[in-house]
Amino acid sequence: SGELYCSLLNPRNVRFESVNMKNVLHWSAPEGTGNEVLYKVKYSVYGVGKWIRKPECKNINRTWCDLSSETSDYEEQYYASVKAFLNGMFSDWVETTRFNPLTDTKIDPPMVSVSSTDKSISITLTAPEKWKRSPEEESISLLQVYPGLQYNVSVLNKKTKKRWFFSISNHTLVVPWLEPGTAYCVSAQIHVSAPLLDSDFSKEHCIATLKDK
Amino acid sequence: TAGNKIFHFGACRVSMSTTEIRAGFTAIKANIQARDPIRTLSILSYPHSLHKVKSPDRCCITHHLFDFYVDKVFKHCKTEDSFVNRKISSIANSFLSMKRKLGQCQEQNQCLCGQESTEKLKQILANYEGLNVTSAAMKSLGELDILLDWME
Repeated sequence: SGELYCSLLNPRNVRFESVNMKNVLHWSAPEGTGNEVLYKVKYSVYGVGKWIRKPECKNINRTWCDLSSETSDYEEQYYASVKAFLNGMFSDWVETTRFNPLTDTKIDPPMVSVSSTDKSISITLTAPEKWKRSPEEESISLLQVYPGLQYNVSVLNKKTKKRWFFSISNHTLVVPWLEPGTAYCVSAQIHVSAPLLDSDFSKEHCIATLKDK
Repeated sequence: TAGNKIFHFGACRVSMSTTEIRAGFTAIKANIQARDPIRTLSILSYPHSLHKVKSPDRCCITHHLFDFYVDKVFKHCKTEDSFVNRKISSIANSFLSMKRKLGQCQEQNQCLCGQESTEKLKQILANYEGLNVTSAAMKSLGELDILLDWME
């Protein structure tokens, strides 16, 4: 007797979304289906044979799976794959492209803190930390991951609308010869030249220089 | 050249830019890697990641890998896509100029090969020769970011 072969359409757009090396696998449900579909996930290290199942992402109906822990060694590259199933029907395994955490992550803007005197403002910048498994784990700054990391800093005089740009490697910057009693707004971006990675600019931090004594 | 940087390979110091290579590779990475169905083998990182090679004779490995890519990889990477082919030849040209620069270090004996690098290079060639030429070349090209990440 013929075997009834039921297949489900494939999950779509299977890809890693990564921010500061928090690497999360995302996909879209097969066309025409909703959250009644269940999924399972596996991953593999490029160059190493076996696929490894992710137990926490077995029989799930959400369309993402956090693989940060499994892909935390950024000197390796990875593939991940998703299969959908529903009422005895199942899809093919659908793979990501090869994922390189070092080049395929997005970097958050730096943290910015500012202080002022009457004629200068001091800016302190902090690069984000690499994702870590738990708060107790040792923090690794992205500065350690990307030694060539630089900061692009924008300083705006709110009164004259004049803007300066600075590109610096260390994390502090003093902007001298400013007008007393004037508001200045600072925003900063991270720039890595190799591999080429730029964060967005941070939101503006405004501060007024002290009035003349 | 835009983005020139001083690379330190032990005693050898070379001013080079990998920016164009990076940009060229990023533009064709998905296309090239999609042509490589073999997940279980890496040319550069099997059995151990290239990153694990921290030895002082990095210059030797880099120099021989430039030779490897120029002599054994780029010429076997013709595709039916003219855009991809153009990017590959632009990357190959950049490799040729980097190879020349590194050659100067070799002439001044700053690029000696120790045991670790010799074994690693042997392994890379064995991985390469374990596949047919076109598959091996395409896989090697798809691993260019592994080399660049390690260099940088």
